[in-house]
Amino acid sequence: MDKGIDSNVDKVISNIYTNENVYATGRVTRVNKYNIEVSGLNDVSFYEAIDVNHKASGYVMGIYANKIIVSLVEINEEIVPGDIVYALKKEFKCLFSPDSMGKVIDIFGHDLIAGKSFEKTVEVPLENPTIPIMDRTAVTREFLTGIIGIDLMYPIGKGQRQLIIGDKKTGKTQIALDAIVNQKDKKMICIYVAIGKTKKEVKDIYFELTKRGAASYTIVIASFNDELPTRTYLTPYVATSIAEIFMMQKYDVLVVFDDLKKHADVYREISLTSKKTPGRDAYPSDIFYTHSRLLEKGAQHIGGGSITMLPIVETKSGDITDYISTNIISICDGQLVLSAKSFARGEKPAINYGLSVSRLGGNVQTPDMKKVGSKLRRELLSYLEVRSVYELANIDEMSKELQKKMRDGKVMVNKLKQYKFSPRTKEEMKAEFAFLFEESTDLEKKINDSDGTHSSSDGNYQEKDHSNTSLNIEKN
Amino acid sequence: MQMVGKIISIFDISIEVVLSSDNVKVGDILEVVDDPNYRFEVVEISNTSATCISLGSTRGLKKGLDVKILSHGIHVEYSDKILGRIFNSYGIPIDKRKIESVKTRRTDHPTTTLQELNIESQILWTGIKVIDFFAPLQKGFKMGLLGGAGVGKTVLIKEIIHNVYTSLNSNAIFTGIGERSREGQELYSEMKKSNLLDKMAMVYGQMGDNPVSRSKAVYSGLTMAEYLRDEKKQDVLLFIDNIYRFIQAKAEIATELKQILIGNGYPSDMASEMSKIEERINSNQNGSITSVQAIYIPADDLTDESVQTIMSYMDGQIVLDRKVAELGIYPAIDVFNSTSKLVDVEKIGERHFSLVESVLKTLTRYNELEEIITVLGIEELSEEDKLIFYRARKLRNYFSQPMFVAEAYTGIPGEFVKIDDVLNDVEAILNGKYDDIDESKFLFIGKVS
Repeated sequence: MDKGIDSNVDKVISNIYTNENVYATGRVTRVNKYNIEVSGLNDVSFYEAIDVNHKASGYVMGIYANKIIVSLVEINEEIVPGDIVYALKKEFKCLFSPDSMGKVIDIFGHDLIAGKSFEKTVEVPLENPTIPIMDRTAVTREFLTGIIGIDLMYPIGKGQRQLIIGDKKTGKTQIALDAIVNQKDKKMICIYVAIGKTKKEVKDIYFELTKRGAASYTIVIASFNDELPTRTYLTPYVATSIAEIFMMQKYDVLVVFDDLKKHADVYREISLTSKKTPGRDAYPSDIFYTHSRLLEKGAQHIGGGSITMLPIVETKSGDITDYISTNIISICDGQLVLSAKSFARGEKPAINYGLSVSRLGGNVQTPDMKKVGSKLRRELLSYLEVRSVYELANIDEMSKELQKKMRDGKVMVNKLKQYKFSPRTKEEMKAEFAFLFEESTDLEKKINDSDGTHSSSDGNYQEKDHSNTSLNIEKN
Repeated sequence: MQMVGKIISIFDISIEVVLSSDNVKVGDILEVVDDPNYRFEVVEISNTSATCISLGSTRGLKKGLDVKILSHGIHVEYSDKILGRIFNSYGIPIDKRKIESVKTRRTDHPTTTLQELNIESQILWTGIKVIDFFAPLQKGFKMGLLGGAGVGKTVLIKEIIHNVYTSLNSNAIFTGIGERSREGQELYSEMKKSNLLDKMAMVYGQMGDNPVSRSKAVYSGLTMAEYLRDEKKQDVLLFIDNIYRFIQAKAEIATELKQILIGNGYPSDMASEMSKIEERINSNQNGSITSVQAIYIPADDLTDESVQTIMSYMDGQIVLDRKVAELGIYPAIDVFNSTSKLVDVEKIGERHFSLVESVLKTLTRYNELEEIITVLGIEELSEEDKLIFYRARKLRNYFSQPMFVAEAYTGIPGEFVKIDDVLNDVEAILNGKYDDIDESKFLFIGKVS
């Protein structure tokens, strides 16, 4: 008994001598924006939480023989070399409160609109391990956005990652907000992640969602453009860890990342600051992995829950073939491409139907929607293609079939226009496009009756006369 | 096994170990004593220390931990037990079932020698019109499958698996490198559903995994393919989706190891690392390995250094094009850039060869005409050009095809089209036999009946 106490006392004393009492400590030797070097801290683990003299906090991101590198995520006061550093003997984690629903929060358990900390919080890891292949099941359940062009032609399923990509001011965020608002009474939890946005933008979005009654099931997790890049960088990962908590409790979760181009730029800044060798466009070599491991958390889990992801990427002058865009396109299960041209024409939502893709397609639609959707998509794409070739031709001189196609095409494009926050139900969508089926059967009958004479577009074009075209223009 | 050293530094996936033993070699797998979650591969040694890369996450790892040698290199199962199973990059089954190992083999293996190499073989028809016509395959071929993001690459790979599999009757290996886990899961359950699973093995190092895992999947998959070729004397099909991700993973590792990189951040040993893989994918006296390797094109840039490096090993290429996909024509193949070494009068015969030439001629003219039409309108074309214009559009539509694995998207049942039918149909379209039939009737059909 005595021996036990003795050995305990000896252990504590020896711990004090070796700085292993409660917290290990070291000293700051170098400060570089949000990375600091610390010496004297020997017994730390990778990603351990670190406190710098109550002035700043962060985590271990490098361990060397004679120093460690700490990445800071919160700096309240200026740090100077010589400041004492505490290793907190636990993995660095963020905080999340179960009371966050309907609030704008950050990743440290603060309610930003009320300007205070939550009372009840749970710890959330920065990242969880990847979801194993065998813990996933097929993505088959529909996720309805209420937008006709999406739900019918480029459907999204629960557990799908669908990219929204386009230039500034083409309505990218609006599509995501429409999708959130349409989840009312659908038992979805929505998480809107603002990455490096302005405070004004975030407050606008928050009010918009509250006004539309979406706040009761939505959490806005925000990082602002004037915050530490390290914090902005972590925000989408922590948001995903939060989404995973819900998924494991069998909830269906929607996560919107607005936007990942900004995230890539922030990560580039961090990498270059820590002197990593740059690759294409000065992005670090692991920029793909940065986004792939984030977006791979979008899944239909075998337990029943799911995480649907709508990442947003901003492009310049409509170029979706730049490095970051193609990376993220190659990770996602499809993309909705928004076009500035359609936007200017008033064809809103300004979806470029030719470039948009859903890799899951009909798999996530109910048979009735699939039937209308695949027909509409075929007809519309074929119209859009024909339109570009025959735009200059006189419609009166066209074959009956082509005339019909041009007329139907215009109707389709008009019917796809939709105001913001005016979701349609599946029934409304199907009813709108029922005409595709009625008339096409009529058309086929007509062609059969006339023994295919109308179906040869060659014949009709040969008679075309140039003077007719100009005459027609004058009449108009 | 006894301990061989202590961890001295950790930075992301790169770990430095101070050695207390001279038993450690490059390629050895080290493990933290009493914690199998932390495993490393030795990539460089000096007389006092070893630089390692971590096979998994390094989160929670500490300086000063003891390490031991786990094995010399990564070993995977080298027996029939691989069939019907799904493995991670390190040869560990991930389908929640135990494996009763018969025999294992190290995944790094010498390349095929000139003496062993066999280059004689037969044509392998895929039943996909546009591939068989423009870029036919041969046993032992390496076909590159190029395409930017989201133009239907993976669907085409699945279709080839489906079609060639049913005709060749030998086992296949699917290696997923840096691609979507969702697709891994889907391929697994689709193969299971169609009772093909027990005739193939899958290896996955997907895009959520760390770069070391993504860089190792190809070696494990290759070793399994070699087993089927050398021990079971088969004509093996090896699918690699996506080989670019291998170089990408290598680039990430090189960055972490602070190696000097070449342009666009690629590792300087990219070409020699590729050779070590591609020179193993060959035919020998035992059998053949026919491989279809998807190649992702970063930033839609075909001149990318790594894409060019990979291409130099290929016997042919199938190029997917976003512009064709935009027209709603699938498989969205760019026929001008898709070809194979088989497209030669002596190999596919006079008729097929001259048809390929005339089709390309017609389609080239069509592209020129399209520009004229945009400016002047269609009525300005000569009679002859009008015929070319309409026939070219029919041809273009004809080379779309309903695919078995895309039935869910299109709602049209898939079709396997014999090459003789393709040649007859193409000839008939070119000769004007179908001038009276509307061009839309050629879209998503098998053969013209």
